[in-house]
Amino acid sequence: MSFSEKNTTNSPDSENKDSQKLILTRLSENIKKIKEVLGNSTDIIIREVGIGKSKKQRIAIIYTDGLADKTAITDFIMESLMLDLDATLDTHSEDVIQYLKDFCLTVGDVNDIADFQTLFRSILNGETVILLDGQPKGISASTKSAKDRAVSQPTTESVVKGPQESFTETLRTNTALIRRKIKSPNLWLKSRVIGKVTQTDVAVMYINGIANDKIVKEVFTRLDRIDIDGILESGYIEELIQDSKYTLFPTVYNSERPDVIAAELLEGKIAILVDGTPFVLIVPAILTSFLQSAEDYYQRSIVSSLIRILRLGGISAALIAPSLFIAITTFHQEMLPTPMLISIASQREGVPFPAFVEAIIMEVAFEILREAGLRMPRTIGPAVSIVGTLVIGQAAVEAGVVSAVMVIIVSITAICSFLFPAYEMSSTIRVLRFPLMVLSAAFGLFGVFMGTMAIILHLCSLRSFGVPYMTPFAPLVPEDQKDAILLFPRSSLLTRPRLINQINTKRGSNPSKNDANN
Amino acid sequence: MKRITIIIFLLSLTLLLNGCWSKRELNELAIVMALGIDKTDDEFEVTMQIVNPSEISSKQPSGKNSPVVSYHAKGKSLFEALRRTTALTPRKPYFSHLQMLVIGEELAADGINQSLDFLARDHEVRNDFYIVVADQSTAKEVLNVLTPIEKVPANKLKNSNEGSQKSWASTSTIQLDKLINNLSSDGKSTVLSTIEIVGDKKLGIDPTNVERIETPVILVYTGLSVFKEDKLVGQLNEEESQGYNFIQDELKSTIEIMSCPKGGNLSTEIIKSKTKVKGKIINGTPSIDVTINVDQNVGEVECDIDLSKIKTIHMINKSTSKLIKDKIKKSLDSIQKKYQADVVGFGEAIHRADPKEWKKIKGNWESLFPELKVNVKVNVNTRGLGTVQNSLLYKTKE
Repeated sequence: MSFSEKNTTNSPDSENKDSQKLILTRLSENIKKIKEVLGNSTDIIIREVGIGKSKKQRIAIIYTDGLADKTAITDFIMESLMLDLDATLDTHSEDVIQYLKDFCLTVGDVNDIADFQTLFRSILNGETVILLDGQPKGISASTKSAKDRAVSQPTTESVVKGPQESFTETLRTNTALIRRKIKSPNLWLKSRVIGKVTQTDVAVMYINGIANDKIVKEVFTRLDRIDIDGILESGYIEELIQDSKYTLFPTVYNSERPDVIAAELLEGKIAILVDGTPFVLIVPAILTSFLQSAEDYYQRSIVSSLIRILRLGGISAALIAPSLFIAITTFHQEMLPTPMLISIASQREGVPFPAFVEAIIMEVAFEILREAGLRMPRTIGPAVSIVGTLVIGQAAVEAGVVSAVMVIIVSITAICSFLFPAYEMSSTIRVLRFPLMVLSAAFGLFGVFMGTMAIILHLCSLRSFGVPYMTPFAPLVPEDQKDAILLFPRSSLLTRPRLINQINTKRGSNPSKNDANN
Repeated sequence: MKRITIIIFLLSLTLLLNGCWSKRELNELAIVMALGIDKTDDEFEVTMQIVNPSEISSKQPSGKNSPVVSYHAKGKSLFEALRRTTALTPRKPYFSHLQMLVIGEELAADGINQSLDFLARDHEVRNDFYIVVADQSTAKEVLNVLTPIEKVPANKLKNSNEGSQKSWASTSTIQLDKLINNLSSDGKSTVLSTIEIVGDKKLGIDPTNVERIETPVILVYTGLSVFKEDKLVGQLNEEESQGYNFIQDELKSTIEIMSCPKGGNLSTEIIKSKTKVKGKIINGTPSIDVTINVDQNVGEVECDIDLSKIKTIHMINKSTSKLIKDKIKKSLDSIQKKYQADVVGFGEAIHRADPKEWKKIKGNWESLFPELKVNVKVNVNTRGLGTVQNSLLYKTKE
C-alpha cells in the first residue's frame, strides 16, 4: 500500500539514527530536537514551566493532544509539580528524578527514559514525558486515554445463547476481557512492539503450564522475525507468521469473541492480540476450529452434534454442489432418476450455454452481488439486493439465459457458504469451487473426485506451528474425536487436544467444575 | 524445486486440452423411453419412443404437441437399425433411461436371441428396463398408442407391469439380465409379460385417444408369454400366470375367490407367499416337490358365514389351498403338456439336488419334462379379517 512505500524510503532510517541517541542535559536542546524530529506537529504539546520552591528548575511537559488524558495531566502532573511541590530541588543531583517519581507524580505507571527512541514512543503512545533541565534522563507517566469504542456485540460471530461481547480496537480492553474470563495467575501476557513506523503494540497471551513451551517459543521467534514498517490489522501478523504462504486455507485462527479466545487458551493455544483491531489471532489452528461455533458448547451436546453434521454437509455442498451438478448433467445423465432427468432437460430447453458456462455466469454474478453488498454504503443495500434477486432469480430464467435448476444450485451453494462459523474459511471454499467446476467440466465426476482428493491431500500436508492441520483425523487421535465432527457431553470431555499441548492434557477429574470456564 | 513445481503445473494444464470431449448437454439428448423391435422382411425394424421434455414438465406444456415422438428405422442388425435412426431423430438418441423393451409377436416367434446381444453389449444401455411381448400386434403398434394420465406410454407400460406383478400376479417383471440368465440356463426357456392392444390399433396414435373420458384404445397386460429356447410358443392366461408366479416364488400378493357353503363368495387376499422347489431323482425318475407357505387376509365376505369360529377359518384355509393347487395344476398342464417348455426351472432344481444323476438324464430332459411328476403342497394361514368381523349378511342365531 502507498502508505508503507512512502515511508520506508527516508523517514524511518533518519528517525532511527536520531532516536538512538541519548537524551541531552540541556532542556532547550532536547526540546529543539523533539520539535525537529516530530516536524513541529501541532498536536504535540510542549509545556515549559519552572518548579520547586524557587521555581528555578525548568522542566518540560510533553504529550500528544488527543492521545493523552488532559484531565489526568492537569490534576496529577501539572498540579503536583507546579502547586504542591515546595521542596528545594538540586538541579544537578541524580536524585531529583527519583524524588519526583517518589513524592510528586500521583500517577500509577511512571518510568525512566534515557534515550530518544523511548521518548518518542512514549509521547506517541499517549504518555506524558517530563524532561528536566540539567538531567540527561526523563520521566514518562502513563496518561493514555485514546478514544475507544465501547465493548459491543460481535458482528462476525453472532450467537443466540452465549456472551454478547466482543473485542474492541483497544489492546488493553481486549486483554482485560480475557482476564475477566480466566482469573488464573498462570494466564501470562508478554508484549512486543512491531512495526518500525507504526510501533504497534502486540500482546501474546497463553496459560503457562497448559500451552506448549515449544510453540510459545516459536511464536516469539516468528514475531521477532517480523520486519515491517506497519501493522494495521492482525491480518498482517497472520500473514507474516503463518507456516505456509502457498495455501488457500487459513492456518491461523482468529476471533472477536473473548469466550472463544478463552476456550482456546484453555486448550493450550496461544493468543496474539494486536492493538487497533478487534480480531485476536490464535495459534496453532486446526481445520476443525474453523468448523465449530462458540454456541456449539453452550447447547446440549446432541443438538450441537447434529448441527455440526448439518454444517459439514452444508460446507461440502458449498464446495462441490455446482461441480457435481455440471458433472452429472453433462457426463453422467444415467445417474439421475428418469423423472428428474426429464424435468431438468425440459428446463434446459432453449438455454444457449453449456451447463458449465451457465454455472460460471451464475456463480460470478453471485460473487459480484455479494462483493457489492459488502462494499456499498449501507443505505443503498436493499436496492442492490432487489436488483440482484430480480436479475438473477427471475429475469435470467424467464429470458431463458440460465435454467431454473442452475439458479437453485447456485442459491444453495451461496447459502451453504454462509454456514461457516469462520469467515476466512468460507472465502477459501468459494475460491476452490471454481477450479473444481473447471475439472468437472473437463473430466466429469472423475475430475470432481480428483480435485477433492487433491484438496484433502493438501490439507493433510498443512501444519500450523508444527501441529498437523487435519488433527484429530490425520493423524488419528481417538480421544479428540469427542470434540471433532460430533460433540460429546461435557462430562466425557476430560482431555485437552493431544497434539496441541503435550504436558498437561487432563482437564480435571471433576469436569463440571473445571469446564465452567470453557 | 520451484522450477519442477512450475513444470508439473504447466504439464497438468495440458490435461485440460482434451476439453470436454464426451460431454453432452441435456438439451442435446433425445431420451429414449421405450424401444420396440419387430421383424419385417428379414430385417429388424426398431421403434424408438422419444420423450419431448418440455411437454412432460409441469411448467406450461403447450398441450398441442405430443409428449412423445416415435421414430422407426430398419436394418440388417439391431445396431445398424439404431444407428440409422440418427438420420431421423432431431438429437442423438440416449438409451440409459430406457424403461421398456417391447418385442413384436413376429420377432418373438422367430427367436429373440439375436436382438438381445447388442442391448447386453452396449455400454449406454442399462439392464434395468422391463421386457414384454406384444400379442397379436407389432411392437411399433404398441408404442404408437397414446396413454392418458401417464403422458409417456413407456411409463404406463412400466407402471402397469409393476403394479400387476405386485398385487395381481398376472405378469412378471423381467429385466435384461434375468432374461439372458433364463435363456442361457439348463432349461433354456423363459416367460415374458404379454401386452395387448384393446381397441382399434389405428386410433391409438390419434391425440383424441387421450382426450376422452373413456379411452378407446388401451394397452393391457393379459398374462405371460412362454418361450421355448428363444421362440414364442404360446400364452398363459391370467390364472395360469398366477400359478406360474406361485411356483417361481415371485408372487407378492393376489386374490383368491372361493364359494361359501351356503352360497355366495368369499375373497381372500394373499399377503405373503414363500415357495420351496426341491428336485429329486429316485431310480432314475426325476420328480419335484413344491411346498408353498401362504399367509392371507379375509378381504371380502359376500355370504352368510361366521368368521368368529375357528372352524370357519380352517375351512377358508383349506379352500384357498385347494384354489392355489388348482391354479398351479392348470399352469403346469399348459407348461408341461401344451408348450413343453421348462420355464419354471425344474431342470435347474434337479441339477442342484443331484448333479450326478442330472448328467445322465440331461439329454432326455426334453422328453422327461412333460411327464415330470410334481407334488404340490400348500399351507395356508389366515392372519387377519379386516376391520369388521362378521359380514352384514351373517344372521346371528338368537
